[in-house]
Amino acid sequence: MRPDPIMRHGLQRSRWDSPSSALDNQSRPRRLPARLRLAVLAVLTVLTVFIGALAGAGCGRHAGGVQQGAAGAARPGPQAGAGATAASSPSAPGQPRRGGTIVTGWTTEPNGVNELIAPATSAQQEVIIQLFLRLVREDANFDKHPPTFSPALARSYEWSPDRKTLTFHLRENVRWSDGVPVTADDVRWTWQAQTSPEVAWAYSYMKTQIADVEAVDPHTVRVHFKRVYAKQMLDINEGGILPRHVWAQVPFSRWRQSADWFKQHLVVDGPFTIASWKPKQELVLVRNPGYFDPNRPHLDRVVMRIIPDQASILAQLGSGELDFTPAFSPADAPQIAGNPRLRLLAYPYRSWVAVGWNNARQPFSDPAVRRALSMALDRPAIVETIWGKFGRVGESPILSVVWAYDRALRPLPYDPAAARGILAAKGFAAGPDGVLRRGGKPFAFEISTNLGNQQRVDALVMIQEQLRRIGVRAEPRQMEFNSLNQRLEAGDFDATLTGFSMDTSLDLTTPFHSREIGSTNLTRYSNPEVDRLIDHAMSQVDLAQATPDLDRIQEILHRDQPYTFLWESDRLSGLNRRLHGVEPSMLYSFYDLKDWWIEPSPKR
Amino acid sequence: MPGYLLRRLAAAALLLWLVLTATFVLLRLVPGDPAAMVSELPIPRQQKIIIIHTYGWDRPLPEQYVRWLGAVVLHGDWGFSFAQLRPVSTVVAEALPATLLLAAAALLIEYGVGTALGVAAARHGGSALDKSIRVVTLLLYSQPVFWLGLMAVLVFSYWLGWLPASHMQSVGADEMGRGAQLADLGKHLVLPAMTLGLAQAGGAARFVRASLLDVMGRDYIRTARAKGLPERRVIWVHGMRGALVPVIQLLALSVTGLLSGALITEVVFAWPGLGRVTYDAILARDSPVLLATTAISAVLVVGCNLVADLLHAAADPRVRDA
Repeated sequence: MRPDPIMRHGLQRSRWDSPSSALDNQSRPRRLPARLRLAVLAVLTVLTVFIGALAGAGCGRHAGGVQQGAAGAARPGPQAGAGATAASSPSAPGQPRRGGTIVTGWTTEPNGVNELIAPATSAQQEVIIQLFLRLVREDANFDKHPPTFSPALARSYEWSPDRKTLTFHLRENVRWSDGVPVTADDVRWTWQAQTSPEVAWAYSYMKTQIADVEAVDPHTVRVHFKRVYAKQMLDINEGGILPRHVWAQVPFSRWRQSADWFKQHLVVDGPFTIASWKPKQELVLVRNPGYFDPNRPHLDRVVMRIIPDQASILAQLGSGELDFTPAFSPADAPQIAGNPRLRLLAYPYRSWVAVGWNNARQPFSDPAVRRALSMALDRPAIVETIWGKFGRVGESPILSVVWAYDRALRPLPYDPAAARGILAAKGFAAGPDGVLRRGGKPFAFEISTNLGNQQRVDALVMIQEQLRRIGVRAEPRQMEFNSLNQRLEAGDFDATLTGFSMDTSLDLTTPFHSREIGSTNLTRYSNPEVDRLIDHAMSQVDLAQATPDLDRIQEILHRDQPYTFLWESDRLSGLNRRLHGVEPSMLYSFYDLKDWWIEPSPKR
Repeated sequence: MPGYLLRRLAAAALLLWLVLTATFVLLRLVPGDPAAMVSELPIPRQQKIIIIHTYGWDRPLPEQYVRWLGAVVLHGDWGFSFAQLRPVSTVVAEALPATLLLAAAALLIEYGVGTALGVAAARHGGSALDKSIRVVTLLLYSQPVFWLGLMAVLVFSYWLGWLPASHMQSVGADEMGRGAQLADLGKHLVLPAMTLGLAQAGGAARFVRASLLDVMGRDYIRTARAKGLPERRVIWVHGMRGALVPVIQLLALSVTGLLSGALITEVVFAWPGLGRVTYDAILARDSPVLLATTAISAVLVVGCNLVADLLHAAADPRVRDA
C-alpha cells in the first residue's frame, strides 16, 4: 500500500504518511537562530546591494505595479518572536462584503479537474471541493462526536429501517454551469465511473460495499449497501458528483489519456469554477454565477499561485503579494505573528508521528522492553524543541482533539531510572562501555526515517542521546523514501520514526490490524483482541456505540506500545488581516472558502 | 571541413544515445519505478494490472526501452506523463519557451557583465580596480544560485519592493494591453535572469580577463599600437578578436551551467520552465518527463558544444586538420 500524501475528506483509511505531505511541507525551510540570521542578513545585504549596483542599469527603478503597491510604505523586516498568535480565525469587523480577489500561495499544483484519474495532491483536493458538490458535506465537528453531515447537493436523506438502503433527495435548483440540471442520473453515473476498472480510481475500494445506486426519479437517489457498517455515509459521499451529460462523451477506457480534455470541457455545480490555468504558474478560481446559493461565495476571484519554494511563499506573504498561505513551519511563526498586516492561524492537524518498533524482532517483541524505551524518551522536551506551542505529546493513535480520544489515558512518564529497572529485570546489564548487554549482545539498533524531513531528523538526534543515557545505542539512519518504504513493508528494520494521518472514521485497521502485516501494519503488531475490537468497532451502525471498543483499543496500545507516540501537531496558516471568515479545519484549508471575504484595498 | 563535421555529428549522436540509454536504465533501477508505484496504490489488483498495461510497464525492460527509443526517434513521441496525465511533448512544449527566454536573458547578462568586467580588469591589470573586480567576480562565481536568488528576492522584492518575487506575470496580467504585458514580463524576468546570469558572469569575467591579458602581450597588438590606433580600437577590435576563441569554448560550457542553474532558479522564482518541470517530475518520479527533460538538456549541451567546435574550427584551421 502506497503512503498517501493527502488527508482526504475524512473518508479514507488511515495512511502512513509521506515526505511530501502537507504537514511535512511545514518543516522544509530550516531557519537560523534569530540573532545569527540578522547578522547573516546584514552581510548579505551589503553584498547584494553591491551586486545590484553592478547590474544597476539593468535593474532600474520600477514603479510599484499591482504586486508592490502597498509594500513600500509599511515594509516589515523579519521579526522574531514578536506578537501573539491567534488560535482561531479573526472575528470579522462589519458585514461580509461581496467581491474582491485574493491571492494564495501553494507549493504544489493541482493535477487536473477529474479527481477520479488525477493523482491527488493537497492543492488539487482543495480545488475539487470548490468545483463539484458532494451529496452531503461532512461537518468539521469531530472534536465533539462522530461525523455528522449537512445538506449539499442533497437537501435531505433517510435510512431504511434495516439501514441497508439510503435515500437522498437532491436539491431541485442545482444546475451545472452550462444550465443543465444536476440529477440522479449524474449521481448514478458518477458511482459507475468511480467503480469502473477502466477508470481505476485509487479510492474505488471505498465503494466496494455499495451494491447499487438507483436513480428513482430525477431528484431522488437510492443507495443499496451490501451490509450495515459504520462508514456507510462516508463511503457513499466520497468523491464529487460529476457532469454525465458532458464527461460521458469520453468512454471510461479513454479517461486516463484525457486529462486535458476534462479541463477543456469543465462544467461545475460548486461555488467556484476555473477561469484560467497556467501550468506551473497559477490557477484562477472565479465565482460560479449559477451556484444554487445566490448569497455565496463572497469573493469574485481566488488566485492560487504555485510557488515551489516555501521561503519565497513566506517572503511574498510578508510583502503583501499573497493574502493566504495554507502551511508553513513553526520556525516561521514568529515572523508571521510579528507582521502587523498578517494573522497566524494554528489549528490541529490529523496526523501523529511516532517511533515504530519492529514487534517481530528481538528485543522489541517484548512489550515491556518497548515500554521501557518509551519511558526513556523525554517526549515533552522533544515536542517543545521541535514544535514549541504548536505541538502536543501524543499518547494514542486517536488524536487528543477527536471526540473518541480516551481521556482516561495517563501519559507515560519520562522516567529513565524506571526504564533501566525494567530492562534490568529483562536481563540487560551494562557492559564495560556502558552499553546494555544481554547474552553478550549489546542493546544496539538502527532507527530510520525518511530523507528531507528535518523535524524527524532533529527528533532522531534527541532520541539517540536520550537512549544513550540508559545504555541503549541507537544509530539514526536517513533513507530515500521509497527505499525506506520497501524495507519497512518487508519488515527489514529495527525501529523507524514515521507518521500516520487519521481519518474521521477512526478505522485503526491500517496501522494495527494483523491482516495488514506486510503492508501498512509496519510494526507487525499482532494482538487478536485488538483485531477483534477494531472489527467490532467498524461494524457498528453508530460510531458512538463503538466508544467502549475504541477506549479498550487505546488502553491496550498504550500498554503494549507498538509505537512510542511522539507528537500531534498543529497546522499553521498565514493570512492578511483584510481577509475574514476564514475557518480552516482538519479537513481542508479551503473548507469554507465560499464564506471568505476581503476588505476593499486600493491595491486590487 | 565536411569530414570534420561528419565526425563531430557522429560523436554527438553517439553521446546523445548514451545519455538517453543511461538515463532510461538508471530511472528504472532506482526504487519507485512507475509500475512499483501503481502496485502500491490501494486499488484492486485488476485495476493495477489495467493501469500498468495501459502504459506498457508490464513489458520486459529491453522491450520498453526499444519501444520508447523508437517512438522518440521515429515519431517524436516522448510518451505520457504519469503524474500529469498528459503527453510529455505537451508538458515540455509548454515549458521550453520559458526556459529559453530565461537562458537567453541570463546569457546576455553573463556575457555583457562578464565581458565588461573582464576587459576593465585586463585594461587596468594589477590596479585597485582589477583587484576589486577579481574579488567581486570570485564572490559571484562562488555563490550558490539558490542563495543568490533568495537574497535577490529578499532585497529587491521584500525590502525594496522594486521587482516581483516570482512567476512570469502579475496577477491579472491577462487583462492588460499587449505592451503592458510585455513590460510586465520584462519586470518578472529581471530577478531570475540576473540571478542566473550574474552567477555565471563571474566566471566569464575571469576568463575574458585572462584571455585578453594573454593576447594583449602579442606582437600584432604591439604593431597595432605602433600604428597609432586608439587604445579602445586596439582592445575591442584587435585584442578581443584574438581573445574570442577561448571565449567561444566557454559559451558552450555556459549552457551546461545555465541549464543546471535554471533548475534551481526556476524553483526559487516559480518560473514555469523546464527546470520546474524536471523538479516536479523528480518529486513525482515521473520518469517519462524526466527522460524527456534530460534528453532535451543533453541535446542543448551537445548541440552547443558542437556549434562551438565548428566555430572554433572555422576560426582556427589547425583544429579541423588535427
